[in-house]
Amino acid sequence: MTKVLLQLKKVNKYYGNAHILKDISLDINDGEFITLLGPSGCGKTTILRCIAGLENIDSGEILLNGVSIKDLAPNKRNVNTVFQNYALFPHLNVYDNVAYGPRVQKSLDEKELRKRVAEVLELVQMSGYEKRMTHQLSGGQRQRVAIARALINEPDILLLDEPLGALDLKLRKYMQTELKHLQKQTKTTFVYVTHDQEEALNMSDRIVVINKGEIQQLGDPREIYNNPRNLFVADFIGDRNITRVEILEKNNNHFKLKLGSNIIDIKCFAAAAEDCEAGETAILAVHMDKVRIYCTETPNSLLGEVISIHYAGSQVRTEVKIDAEIVTVIEYQNSNCDYNVGDKVYLSWEESAAVLLPLEDDTEGSNV
Amino acid sequence: MFNLKKIKQNAPAVPILVWTGILVGIPLIYVVVLSFLSRDSLGNIVFEFTWENYKRIFDPVYLKVFYNSFLLAVLTGLITLLIGYPVAYFTANLEANRRSLAMGLIILPFWISSLLRVYGWIILLGNNGLINSLLLKFKIIDKPLTMMYNFGTVLVGTAYMLIPFMIVALYNSIDKLDRSLLEASYDLGASKWKTFFKITLPLTMPGIAGGFTLVFIPALGLFFISDLLGGGKNIFLGNLINAQIKGRNRPLAAAFSVGMIILVLLVLYIYTRITKNKKEGLFL
Repeated sequence: MTKVLLQLKKVNKYYGNAHILKDISLDINDGEFITLLGPSGCGKTTILRCIAGLENIDSGEILLNGVSIKDLAPNKRNVNTVFQNYALFPHLNVYDNVAYGPRVQKSLDEKELRKRVAEVLELVQMSGYEKRMTHQLSGGQRQRVAIARALINEPDILLLDEPLGALDLKLRKYMQTELKHLQKQTKTTFVYVTHDQEEALNMSDRIVVINKGEIQQLGDPREIYNNPRNLFVADFIGDRNITRVEILEKNNNHFKLKLGSNIIDIKCFAAAAEDCEAGETAILAVHMDKVRIYCTETPNSLLGEVISIHYAGSQVRTEVKIDAEIVTVIEYQNSNCDYNVGDKVYLSWEESAAVLLPLEDDTEGSNV
Repeated sequence: MFNLKKIKQNAPAVPILVWTGILVGIPLIYVVVLSFLSRDSLGNIVFEFTWENYKRIFDPVYLKVFYNSFLLAVLTGLITLLIGYPVAYFTANLEANRRSLAMGLIILPFWISSLLRVYGWIILLGNNGLINSLLLKFKIIDKPLTMMYNFGTVLVGTAYMLIPFMIVALYNSIDKLDRSLLEASYDLGASKWKTFFKITLPLTMPGIAGGFTLVFIPALGLFFISDLLGGGKNIFLGNLINAQIKGRNRPLAAAFSVGMIILVLLVLYIYTRITKNKKEGLFL
């Protein structure tokens, strides 16, 4: 039985007239790695700052271990933050940076402190750097010091605000594994903010997808990736072709769809598909890398014309025009057949690749 | 040896060097040379080398003047720092448009003649001045308080005159402070006061040192404030040099000036030590 550590209840936040957080309710379990994922400006960092106490909330409740913390100052909350720019103290060396928390709280004597600093630096593999000044460290090293500085207080929750944003791709991938490992090792609850879906899918136990101050979907990475609940999630997570289709027939999970002049049958078990009814226009979202291209006629496929082929290293992106729609296909050097620009081809995909979603009134911002 | 590229690179510096050479270098050399010369009974300069002027500095009467001036400059620095820091801190945390308004108001007195502003203090502090009149009227005192013509009056006037320098120097330093460092400090468990003493104060040290230097140097030499507010009872270096020039003892005035320059250099040395390895400072 998992224990709920932190509860957000109908949290609202305004900046002037802008409604930044709209009725955010969220339970965070003890020991989990939960990621707040969304585009920039969606409010994910604001949620983090509200938990840390760096922002006040306008209405709602924040409970830590069942006790309200919404009126506590940041220094009275047992949560710590790893800031986006690390915010290491430039006038202190690594040791003094890491020792800052226990020192200002007077929680350890100098001897215990030395031991504890050594422990956390060991944990983030920064032993031996105690005397360095922070400007003598690389980005990845600063990152580690920032994590050590936050972890030394043994917080109930560690908040991480896009901590890998400033690192190069290779280091970022490495640090993803490291962070996940660290989280397992310390059994600390991590609340991680990012706009990078790959990071989120890679590390999280659960993902909260946020847009325009509202939670769009909450679920484990597999669920978020394969079973988006609405158009925003379908478009934001995973590279999908988003096309408008007409539903001709509906039979439980079986749909007959009309896409331009093509008619296809699909099975869709996604919860969102249940809201789609025959006669309506809906959204068909198909993963780009799960579409296959055939040169000969294939049952239950879409007929289109190849309009461009891009080689991008290991993958090939092909654009196929189907009546008014353009569908992108990503293949990993595993084409079924040779085709060239201008050829007629047939597109087909495995069942799980497609999701049918009801058309929303608010479709601005997506490429429908 | 003959590097054309280097000459080209440094060419734009030549006018500046010539300019400072004429306006700073030559007068400075003149003062130093003058300080070693003698004068005849009429006060005309005689080209005869002497240590006499420097020996006279160590006369207890004159040493007291050096001490007075040094004390005045240090206290002015401390007072302007104590008053200026909260003002600069508050100003730097205002919204952008209010901030420029506040800075404008702080700099505004510079547009008024400093002599007039000193007279303002006389109107305020004099025996028949505003404060005494009010206190007498409300029967808080029965005879006027003597607030004029002492060391304290000169200190108040000097601090008032120079505080904008301190505020501007501090403001620049506080404004540059990364606010996320303060948030990180709160987040790690420090109170606002602890954050101030452990983060804000050390990181704005270059501004403090800069402001102190900017206030200390003029405070050492200003003479009209002590003339007007000190009533000639308290002699400071500026008054002394002024008096020696009027009394046609220019070599002695030059020797005192050199002594003052040495005091200033001492403060500048301390300043560069404080701001060393920091990315801001007046001379970087």
